[in-house]
Amino acid sequence: MVNKIKAMKQIYLIITFSLISLLGFSQTIEISGNISDVSGLPLPGVSIIQVNTNNGAISDFDGFFTIKGVTIGDQLKFSYLGFKEKTISIKSKNSLVITLDEDQESLDEVVIVGYGTQTKKEITGAVSVVSSKTIEELAPTRIEQALQGQVAGVNITTQSGAPGSASNIRIRGISTNGDNRPLILLDGNVIEDLSVVTPSDIENITVLKDATAGIYGVRAANGVILITTKSGVKNSELKLDVNFYGGFQQTTRTLPALNASEYGLYVNEAHVANGESIIYPIISDLGNGTNWQNEVFQNASIINQDFTLRGGTKKSGYAIGSSFLSQDGIIGGNKSNFTRYNIRLNFNTELLKNLNLKSGLIYTGTNRKALAENAIGSVLFNALNNSPTLTVKDDNNQYTLSEGLGNEVINPIAQIANTYNKSVVDKLSGNFGANYKFLENFSVESNIQFNYAEVRGENFNPVAFYGSGKVFNKDRSEYSESKSVFQDYTFDAILNYEKIFKEAHSLKATIGTSVFKTEGEFSGSIGFDIPDNDYSNASLENASDILNFYPNGDPTFDSRLLSYFGRIQYNYKEKYLFSALIRRDGSTKFGPKNRFGYFPTASLGWVLSDENFLEDVSAISFLKLRTSYGILGNDRIPDYRYVSILNGESEYVLNGELITGVALGTLSNPEIKWEQQESFNVGIDARFLNNELTFTADYFSRNTKDLLLVPDISGILGGTAPGSGAPIINGGDVKNTGFEFQLGYSKSFNDDMSFNINYNFTTLENEVLKVDNSLGYISGGGFGIGQSDVARMEVGMPIGYFHGLKTDGIFQNQSEVDAHPSQLALGANAQPGDIRFVDVNNDGIINEQDKTYIGDPIPDVTMGLNISFDYKNFDFQMYLFSSIGNEIVRNYERNLSLTNKTSYELDRWTGPGTSNSVPRATTGATSNAVFSDYFVEDASYIRAQNMQIGYTLNKNSTNAIGVDKLRFYASVTNLFTLTKYRGYDPTSSTGNPLGGGFDNGFYPTPRTFLLGVNFKI
Amino acid sequence: MKKFKKLDKKFLVVFMLLLVIISSCSDDFIDVDPTEENSEDFFNTEADYQNALIGAYDMLQSSFMNVLLGEIASDNTLCGGESATDVPGFQQIDDMIHTPVNSQLRDIWSWMFAGVNRANYILEFQDKLDFEGKEIVLGQARFLRAYYYFELVKWFGDVPLVVDQRILFGQQFEVDRTPKAEVYQQIEQDLIYATSVLPLVQADLGRVTKGAAQSLLGKVYLYQDKFSEASNALENVINSGQYQLLTDDYVNMFENDYENNIESVFEVQYTDVQGAGFGCFQCSEGNIAVGFNGIRNYSVEPGSVGDIFDSGFSFNVPTQETYDLFDESDIRRDVSILDIETWAAEVGATYVEGYEHTGYYNLKYLPRRGDLNTGDQNLTNPNNYRAIRYADVLLMAAEALSRGGIDEGRARLYLNEVRLRANLSEISSSGIDLTNDIYKERRLELVGEGHRFFDLVRTNTASENIEGFVTGKHEVFPIPSIEIDLTGNRWSQNPGY
Repeated sequence: MVNKIKAMKQIYLIITFSLISLLGFSQTIEISGNISDVSGLPLPGVSIIQVNTNNGAISDFDGFFTIKGVTIGDQLKFSYLGFKEKTISIKSKNSLVITLDEDQESLDEVVIVGYGTQTKKEITGAVSVVSSKTIEELAPTRIEQALQGQVAGVNITTQSGAPGSASNIRIRGISTNGDNRPLILLDGNVIEDLSVVTPSDIENITVLKDATAGIYGVRAANGVILITTKSGVKNSELKLDVNFYGGFQQTTRTLPALNASEYGLYVNEAHVANGESIIYPIISDLGNGTNWQNEVFQNASIINQDFTLRGGTKKSGYAIGSSFLSQDGIIGGNKSNFTRYNIRLNFNTELLKNLNLKSGLIYTGTNRKALAENAIGSVLFNALNNSPTLTVKDDNNQYTLSEGLGNEVINPIAQIANTYNKSVVDKLSGNFGANYKFLENFSVESNIQFNYAEVRGENFNPVAFYGSGKVFNKDRSEYSESKSVFQDYTFDAILNYEKIFKEAHSLKATIGTSVFKTEGEFSGSIGFDIPDNDYSNASLENASDILNFYPNGDPTFDSRLLSYFGRIQYNYKEKYLFSALIRRDGSTKFGPKNRFGYFPTASLGWVLSDENFLEDVSAISFLKLRTSYGILGNDRIPDYRYVSILNGESEYVLNGELITGVALGTLSNPEIKWEQQESFNVGIDARFLNNELTFTADYFSRNTKDLLLVPDISGILGGTAPGSGAPIINGGDVKNTGFEFQLGYSKSFNDDMSFNINYNFTTLENEVLKVDNSLGYISGGGFGIGQSDVARMEVGMPIGYFHGLKTDGIFQNQSEVDAHPSQLALGANAQPGDIRFVDVNNDGIINEQDKTYIGDPIPDVTMGLNISFDYKNFDFQMYLFSSIGNEIVRNYERNLSLTNKTSYELDRWTGPGTSNSVPRATTGATSNAVFSDYFVEDASYIRAQNMQIGYTLNKNSTNAIGVDKLRFYASVTNLFTLTKYRGYDPTSSTGNPLGGGFDNGFYPTPRTFLLGVNFKI
Repeated sequence: MKKFKKLDKKFLVVFMLLLVIISSCSDDFIDVDPTEENSEDFFNTEADYQNALIGAYDMLQSSFMNVLLGEIASDNTLCGGESATDVPGFQQIDDMIHTPVNSQLRDIWSWMFAGVNRANYILEFQDKLDFEGKEIVLGQARFLRAYYYFELVKWFGDVPLVVDQRILFGQQFEVDRTPKAEVYQQIEQDLIYATSVLPLVQADLGRVTKGAAQSLLGKVYLYQDKFSEASNALENVINSGQYQLLTDDYVNMFENDYENNIESVFEVQYTDVQGAGFGCFQCSEGNIAVGFNGIRNYSVEPGSVGDIFDSGFSFNVPTQETYDLFDESDIRRDVSILDIETWAAEVGATYVEGYEHTGYYNLKYLPRRGDLNTGDQNLTNPNNYRAIRYADVLLMAAEALSRGGIDEGRARLYLNEVRLRANLSEISSSGIDLTNDIYKERRLELVGEGHRFFDLVRTNTASENIEGFVTGKHEVFPIPSIEIDLTGNRWSQNPGY
């Protein structure tokens, strides 16, 4: 078909050329050409006007046009809804090739707002859109990367830089100590794991940030992200879009660890300080030793290829896509590889005049291997703490043992070598929908979406010995397999009514129902003693003493949601806008008494620029005020917490055999009900200078009440029994307030040069207003070995603040020690050179009760700056992101006298006056490792998320070889990060509201260099 | 066209029908019951009772903390560990500077109450079903409740007493601390019941027997200075003929192969078949105290003579004074305490000196080679805790007879039975000397087994033996302050804290 069309095109061109040459001698000429969008899709219906005349034309079905009666030097203006206007001068009689850029800022752009669409102009909520162009430019491996810095109010932190690992998406702050993840819908289909989504499949992403997300009711409290995939367009030519990129990744940073000589001196000093003899008599023999970080970090490859085939007949549109990504890790290479492949089909058709069907099917497979990370004993933790005097292998070619370094520190290279695991996901997602229009103003729509996913994991731990007493030693090899099956479906039925009365009153009304069911099953077993301790023999058949993970039967879950909703959207001449909605949700998460919740929202908008008094102000192209208020819900808690069930752990040994019984599971609370959030937003959208300058500002306040949380409870309730736990209660209030600003400027200087800059800025203030467990706080997190209650959710404080001791420098001499309250309760009496802690409660003793606020992981301000610049065939983009005011805890140091240190320890206290910040080296007992602000650092940063330069070949020359667009590009992601933080990566976060800002040996986000090509045929 | 219109109508009808179907699928759609059994509809078969009983037994394994920390609190051992800040809750108790903020005390509090609740769950439904042998199930449940409550009063004094019902969420704001005497009363009643229904021998090794119930009852009486009741109960055990001291095999008493031996009256059963992690000690099926007692970074040529220990975390290290208390000829010394320096030199082993290294380890409960070492191997040591040994019964009986002025002859008889087994000479003292001899023998016989601190407290001799012990304060541990907060700030703290 391509060829046929091509051939037709050529014939057409020949004819045109002949005509032109025939008419060459006349004064006016006839010019023709074709018009397409950036992706090469022909644009039918584009209006072409000869400037300052009435002469014009319209492009046809194939984007083809002919305009008569023009002369060389005349100007032609091309305009098309949703695209930027373009004006060109006629320079010759040659046929024109016109590409129109989509106007992402267009007020007529249609935005999905949940069970319907609105134009940008009509929107009354705080809604942001990330376009396919941005996604294409960023070429992210995961879609979260396309959100960071693009949308004000959305903050992304990384759980790990390892391939395939998840990011945390937080919309407008953290509102609960439970689940803060937003609801994510891919073509209406609930998505929990974003690693299975291929960015190149995505048409756009819409983020609903305020109460207008209430159309999703009980699931909307953390915001809603709507992802639309690319689909085929009716009446379009078959187009092939191919992307390929490849490159390598490297660590952004290695920490300045002590070399062997510095380490030797440190260790000697520590022993002498405690009256012991030195360990390394001859320092000069030690040299630099092993730099363990250089041993574990490597350059790692990444390749991606994908293609999309799109086209359409008169009645149908279709798209077929496929992609492949393989990414090795900068630690462990192939041992932390992530591979993803997918196939996607998309078909929509107009079955009858008023009946449209759409369908889509996506298969995604992923295969992920992972190394121990972000924990005590993770690979990087070991690289930082292992002794530099050790070599990787000894003379017998055996991995060296890390003797005497603490039970958790082992040879990281041996650790990598002994890691064998993988997690394989096969997922099939589909949707099918029908839309039927009737009686002029009515339409009814029905959609069904489903997901089916199988997650299979396997893990082999060979017999291993890393040194005596190491907690990672394995005397028996272990092999485990697990399988989880998840399936869900969503069924929506919607009735719409849409009418414009008297050309002024526009009314849209929607009622609908939605049914959601998700279920799953988990299974798994572990076996021991794999023959020859060899991974290739690792299977359950070859293992002995097989234990089922779930002796009481494989656990399953089944949770459902039944919803009804209605919405009215009204506007008067697109000037006064009003919208109101209500949703009733019933969730299986709650008991019969509290099963249903009602979630109302109303919003108003006023387009001031359409008022008479502003019509003449030419500087203002557009000005809209809007506000919204509503109640959103949250039911993101585990199933059946309202009823007491027997799923606890009950095991005891009788006759030498482990016997399984039954026991109470998590304590129940029949009173639990949906959490509600009062969400208020007021915002302004403005455009100036003929739409070149855009400005959006929002103030938001999210007041979450009846927070669903798991409180600390009295031990007398028995909740600490195995398999039990504290109940969920509606027990807290959290308030998030902030401002968001978005400022954009775009300018086309001429046909060859355009410029676009976008800056966004978000402030956030988080305060816990109530914790209803008679303590006034919930504690969490962990520091070092066994230190708990280091992060808290506490009234009057930001959620997850760090709770530790305040320090006041270093004791310089004994008289300073004597003058200070005793620190013995922390573990050891202070000596000169030790940290001086502040007696916060002034009770004359330093102990646990002196712990206080010493920082929090919530940024005060986040900013994104995106710049793009096109000049002739070159394009350039830069995306910067900055986070200010967030703190992080350095928790990757083992703090033992024989473990290695980083170079700031060179500035340690060695005698009076030598240091007032870094304590002395000693093997003796100190309290210096007790959690304090000594370990808390400012994690503010600016990061160059992405920089990219591209070159697109001239259309004329590529057309000759049948290619519509051919672009080469080079990009660097994460080129640099400016931060004062001494660890690897200030973006580290587990995503837990409590204990999230603790860096336990974070796998840093790599710097990635890519070369890529995309071409469209 | 007309045809299409017809079709249109059909579709319209279909869609409307669909809408109706969806709407009428109604609220029943979300009436889903959990697949697991509801706790309130349970106890319908004998097996249900038996299965719930396993759950009540399960919490016994978490009492490793009581044993470990009880020993650390005493004058037998120092805390040890890796450094001064390794488990601050242990270190502080060792130094008698502990405060109401102590997560290990909270563990003991919470885990023992979890045991109480699991036993009470069965007893709450004790009348729901009748079956043959039900009283044996109830006898075990009541023994277990008594066991957990006894631990609670030993550690904390007055504790909330709830009988035959679970403490449900919300009720924590209503229950008060019950005076210790009343708790003891309930413990006695439970144990008397258990004594009356339990068989001398249980089909399953590891279940509570009549002897175990009698012994615990005797111990509970002794803790209250009820000497005649104590001696009665304990002599019932002695006279039952079910138990005897392990003599020839004494050196193997604490080896894995000698679990549930003839001297064992009650043992907490552990196994190494299941893995465990640091996140949930109480979930482990292994004896975690053993790993904590272990030799720090012990390393020796595989297969050599010294290859009989695994390493551990060097907590709970016996002092020189404790070691020196043993007579040279006392065979118990080298079964109870490992002189690591001599041993390492002898077998060519290496180890790392931990914090407060004394040169000695608690040999009775050290990680031994030969177990499965299921990960984390420090938390899955299978060594059963010999909770009540016949030697203990004999010494308790002797003490009760002596202190109660009941029969010094029998007191000496029991004492000497223990001494002879230890290769020591018979004692012929009487009066207060006899009592003191019994005390001393108790310390030597039971060193490393977690009894010493509570023996000192109940005999009012703690302050003269434990450095830093303040009379009128340290007899009981503080109620974790967070527990007072979480129950509504109504309870008074123990005196002095």
